[in-house]
Amino acid sequence: MSKFAWAWTWFVFLLVLNIAIPWFVLTHVEKMSGAFLFWVVWVAVAIISAFVIFLKWREVER
Amino acid sequence: MSAAFWVWFGIAIYIAVGLAIAIMARRQLGAGMSEFFLANRKVGGFVSALTYSATTYSAFMMIGLAGLTYFSGVGALGFELTYLCGMFMMVFFLPRFWLVGKKYGYVSPMELLSDRYQSKGVGATTAILALVFLVPYGAVQLMGVGYLMNGISQGVIPVVAGIIIAVVCAIAWSSIAGLRSVAWTDAFQALIMIVVSAAVLGVVVAALGGFSSFFGKLESAVPGLLTVPTAKGAWNINMFVGLALPWLFFLISNPQVSQRLFIPKSVTAMKQMLGGFLIFGFIYTLISVLWGFSATLLVPGLENADKATPTLLALPIIPMGLAIIVMIGITAAAISTIDSILLTLSSVWARDIHKGLINPKVSEAGELRVGQWVIPIMAIIAFVFAWWAAGKTGLAFMLAPLSSAASAGLLMAVPTIFGAFFWKRATATGAIVSCIVGAIVVLLFQVTGWKPLGWWPGVWGFIVCVILFIGVSLATKPPKEKAEEFIGYLREALAKGNFI
Repeated sequence: MSKFAWAWTWFVFLLVLNIAIPWFVLTHVEKMSGAFLFWVVWVAVAIISAFVIFLKWREVER
Repeated sequence: MSAAFWVWFGIAIYIAVGLAIAIMARRQLGAGMSEFFLANRKVGGFVSALTYSATTYSAFMMIGLAGLTYFSGVGALGFELTYLCGMFMMVFFLPRFWLVGKKYGYVSPMELLSDRYQSKGVGATTAILALVFLVPYGAVQLMGVGYLMNGISQGVIPVVAGIIIAVVCAIAWSSIAGLRSVAWTDAFQALIMIVVSAAVLGVVVAALGGFSSFFGKLESAVPGLLTVPTAKGAWNINMFVGLALPWLFFLISNPQVSQRLFIPKSVTAMKQMLGGFLIFGFIYTLISVLWGFSATLLVPGLENADKATPTLLALPIIPMGLAIIVMIGITAAAISTIDSILLTLSSVWARDIHKGLINPKVSEAGELRVGQWVIPIMAIIAFVFAWWAAGKTGLAFMLAPLSSAASAGLLMAVPTIFGAFFWKRATATGAIVSCIVGAIVVLLFQVTGWKPLGWWPGVWGFIVCVILFIGVSLATKPPKEKAEEFIGYLREALAKGNFI
């Protein structure tokens, strides 16, 4: 699978987690360690993933 | 001295500094459309990151998102972070927009679409979509400023006065030197936004006994707000998807931010822009949501959740000086968004409607004059909308849902944008039909309040739009030569820069 396809697959996976975990796993956890903590960690993972990809970009001649 | 006096004093200082920055920016202003609307594509990474942040984050955050958190709890965090997660797609779109912008000299995202689909109609359709749906979004910023000044001055300053101040500043910032004045004032405003919001949150959390005590109080006082869906029925999956879907694609559907993808001067500047924005967005979102949660503890029971921030700022635990500075920070957030919207809409009108449809032979100077005239006209339309909506209450007129509703209309351009970059078989007819019918569905459902199967207007509009885009494209003839050339160029250029 190409890097392009991997990146899209990873992104879709993150979006699935965005619904699956808060609504089906943490729905009864009425604490800051529930959905709040999940979303903070989840988006941190998304941000780090973006950094991993874009830090490899290099200058192009125009 | 009264609160109203200090509010006026703070506004005067803010306007003076903003004007000084805008006038300084004007010294570097050259001639032409690309210069006025894109700062000649020579913006450094630091300013790019801050102008992108200030344009994206607006009064919506510390007022609208905080109000939504106050009203409905942690789902508001998930909703806003879905947008930030969507920024992952920048790894695909940022280099693509930037590369073709440089190669073909596009001024607006709509011009890109016109050229790629070889149809002025595509540019005009997406331009009209932006003009229709960005007005309510711009109005939301104005309402935010009005609520804020009214709240902090304890009702002395009318909501409409705040709205007028925001309109005048936005017209000035965007007219004085185009993107140069907008980007420079944005950078100044973004720094104010992040610093003062962090400072005031620190004061409030300290008053609540520190983070540990704050979280403990939330868990005991409002446990129902810490999960989804809430006991009151907010944040069921339909509501979440309905609000978050337009947000997910905000980075490409909203032309005032996608136009920013043309401006970095180099790949390094692009990386700094994206990295800087992601960090800014993460911090600012957490601050806004925690601010909303602190309001649930300190000022419970408000009828209008959008008043949570102004009410909280008026509490004695917050020194008046800090409250005024925060007010300026939020005002800055609002104005930095609306001036960008005005600038983008004026470029879209001048390039994609005036030159594209009305007068194709217009000179560049004439085109620029038209764009500059459109700035105050759009501002007045947004003002009228804000004035009308500011008197209304209910979920539909809260800042966050209103913003998302506006973005739901803009969402209809997303399949067309995807098709431009990734699908050679995409056609102009598919793009036009899908945008128009999708937008009609969104408007119809929003006006009637109809939500079949519980799904929100943006979701239905998007489903219809995607089906039509694919179906009509398959049934019509694509601009094969342009598609090969455009996507072929990108394939080679992307490989050179190690983009994906």
